[in-house]
Amino acid sequence: MSSESPEVIVETRNLSKVYRDFWGRQKVRALKALDLEIRRGEIFGLLGPNGSGKTTTIKLLLGLLFPTSGQALIFGRDATDVSKNERLGYLPEESYLYRFLNAEETLDFYGRLFDMPARVRKQRTAELIEMVGLEWAKRRQLKEYSKGMARRIGLAQALVNDPELILLDEPTSGLDPIGTREMKDLILKLKAQGKTVIMCSHLLADVQDVCDRIAILHQGELKELGRVDSLLKLRDETEIRVKGLSAAGQAEIRDVIERHHASVLTMDNPTTTLEELFLSIVRDSEARPGRRAKQES
Amino acid sequence: MVLEEAPPPFDAWFGSAFLFFLQSAALLGVLALAIGYVVAAFRYGPLGGGDVVYRRLKTALGDLFAMSPRRIMALSWLAVQESLRRRVLVGFAVFVLILLFAGWFLDTQSSDPATLYLSFVLTSTTYLVLLMALFLSAFSLPTDIKNHTIYTIVTKPVRPGEIVLGRILGFATVGTVLLALMGVISYVFVIRVLNHTHDVEVASLKAAPNDTTGTRIGRTAANQNHRHNVTLQPDGTGSTDVVQGHWHEVDEVVDGDETTYIVSAPRDLFNARVPAYATNLRFKDRTGKASTKGVNVGNEWTYRSFIEGATLASATWTFEDVTPERFPDGLPIEMTVRVFRSHKGNIEKGILGSLVLRNPRTGLTSAGINFEAKDGYIDSRNILPELTDPSGNRINLFDDLVDEGALELQLQCLDMEQYFGVAKPDLYLRARDASFALNFVKSYVGIWVQMLLVTSFGVMFSTFLSGAVAMMATLAALVLGFFTQFIYDVAVGTVEGGGPVESFVRLITQRNVTTELDPGLPRNVVNALDNVFMFFMQSVTSLLPDFRRFSDVDYVAYGFDIPLNLLGMQIVSALGYLIAMSAIGYFFLRTREVAR
Repeated sequence: MSSESPEVIVETRNLSKVYRDFWGRQKVRALKALDLEIRRGEIFGLLGPNGSGKTTTIKLLLGLLFPTSGQALIFGRDATDVSKNERLGYLPEESYLYRFLNAEETLDFYGRLFDMPARVRKQRTAELIEMVGLEWAKRRQLKEYSKGMARRIGLAQALVNDPELILLDEPTSGLDPIGTREMKDLILKLKAQGKTVIMCSHLLADVQDVCDRIAILHQGELKELGRVDSLLKLRDETEIRVKGLSAAGQAEIRDVIERHHASVLTMDNPTTTLEELFLSIVRDSEARPGRRAKQES
Repeated sequence: MVLEEAPPPFDAWFGSAFLFFLQSAALLGVLALAIGYVVAAFRYGPLGGGDVVYRRLKTALGDLFAMSPRRIMALSWLAVQESLRRRVLVGFAVFVLILLFAGWFLDTQSSDPATLYLSFVLTSTTYLVLLMALFLSAFSLPTDIKNHTIYTIVTKPVRPGEIVLGRILGFATVGTVLLALMGVISYVFVIRVLNHTHDVEVASLKAAPNDTTGTRIGRTAANQNHRHNVTLQPDGTGSTDVVQGHWHEVDEVVDGDETTYIVSAPRDLFNARVPAYATNLRFKDRTGKASTKGVNVGNEWTYRSFIEGATLASATWTFEDVTPERFPDGLPIEMTVRVFRSHKGNIEKGILGSLVLRNPRTGLTSAGINFEAKDGYIDSRNILPELTDPSGNRINLFDDLVDEGALELQLQCLDMEQYFGVAKPDLYLRARDASFALNFVKSYVGIWVQMLLVTSFGVMFSTFLSGAVAMMATLAALVLGFFTQFIYDVAVGTVEGGGPVESFVRLITQRNVTTELDPGLPRNVVNALDNVFMFFMQSVTSLLPDFRRFSDVDYVAYGFDIPLNLLGMQIVSALGYLIAMSAIGYFFLRTREVAR
């Protein structure tokens, strides 16, 4: 797909980055000839262990770093073109915000950087603070915020201009399970609004939950690229989950499988995830305050 | 007050200054382009390098037109908030503390306390504000880059020029507010500390000697380490003599049997003289022959020339536009002469001098006005329109001595083997007095201009250097700026001892500055190296601001009005530097990877 196509929002061509020392000697080859195309409306995940080149890719896309060779295009423009930032939002890995400002001042300040008039800024600030659930702390300086609160206000500043493309660097880092779920829900909500999201994370569960497509980087090289569902699908295995089946019914199914020359790996009651369990306990606790946890049976 | 170079009229200066600005900008621009191309060509090849340079220029032009006042104001506001967080008000508290304890180390017995106190408050304000500007501007951007807070700025549609300009304007705003507060406090401090009155010692009052009109003389009680002699007229009004640069009005109030004496607040303590300087100063030597300058009595500083006493040597100032409309009450002359004694003589007495008014066309002169000159004192006198010529005939100042507005004043020293030293600004007509308060404000504008310069340099250096290095670089620019004239003199070879390399050779070989180096290859190498250094020094000094020219402290301290053309030149120069530093800062920030 060419860069002129309206469907492609982000494109990298042979994008490479080499970090050099003061004397120009090569220190690290952080990214090697990355070719990517990210389309409008998808949630794209950049995966990889520490030092794999995820953050370097994000910084190159944002124009915070300049490529050693190759090209990064956002909305068809070079990544170093400042005007692309009009339609872009960025949540850094740490919430690098001015700690001496409060939440309202922070959002108002970033709104002014988008040349938004005062009336629009006021309205947008109120909306975003409500969206990230910080109304109760909107007048407190950010230096008094917990890490989770700082992430929330960081996200709010990334959305202040209602961007088409949002880059999220480790969006769930520092968040508790509820915050993590809310962040993931929000990412899905942004997708539903037609926005494109690029997130990089090393928390696989988060990526699996929300991403449409992923790229796996290792030592600066692209190792895997594709849709999450197709990448995770085990094509030679079949999982059967049934509710209320008797022992006789189970024996009958085993016979059917053996007749087709297949073998049963497991057939058991499925378990929920820890995250699901934790959330159900919290929801239950909030619904019925004071109720003690059940004794282990 | 020393005025080595009178400021030229603003119109005349602006034309040549603007041309110089354009020339420098064009020259530096071409140089930067060439360097940029070489670097880019090295990385991307000759064609690729050209393309990169072209795209950078195109982007720069686009960025210039895309700059938004709202974004600049937002970044300025952030800089103000950051300054407050960095406890900029501590600087203000230090200033208040200094004023509180100023009385401990300021000499109240000074012959001119107003000069002392004004110099003190203005100098301390200057240093504090410049230091504050230095720290704020040099560390702000590097701290943002180090803390990565810059990431959330540069990923918004913010142009690098807006970041640079926003920071400069923000810190300038902080400096302006601080300066305004310091100015008000300084003004109140000086006025309150030096304001005083005296009691008249009634017992000292007695009839003036050889007076039949009823005039009485006496003295006041001591206050603030001085006292005055009082002269009371028969009608009960009177005045004191001038001590410590001021005098008082005295009024005798009789109420029944009770007589009280009311002594006013000090008069002429704080002045803002508007001098009308001579258009020309010429000399005659001891034989009466015309000369371009007087005698050098050994001073290395050639600002003043000396005339020998009891000879035909003289100094003659020519004034223009001397009209009765401008000076209806006579000619108010103020004169400061340096006295050089070749023998001690009576040290309590001044050296005798004579001042003669002369018609430049007819040569008619007035009778000599004799005076006693004390070294460095301002001698004020008002020459009434009715005068006499040397023969005792009555003449009129404007009718007989002034020719189409032109008038000459000729100074001679009358004591044998003693000398008077004068420069053109040492004798002037006190055309009028401006408001002292306004002059005080103008001096703060001068400090504000210096603060703006330091801030501009600090922010510019911080776009490509770390905080500490940016501070050192700004400090270096500041120090070099104070010694611009000397460095320039070295660079153009008017200082004996050669350039830096030759000076170094002289230092290690222990040769004095007047002996020639031995001819040969080593000297040629030294000279060649010096030529390179001197070219570089000349270029640097031409571009750096001469900080001494931005200081107006002496004007206020010595009681002279700061000329508006001077203030205009200072402000326009500072704005020129602001534009230049913003442009340089833009390119450095644009080509910098902020995430490295």
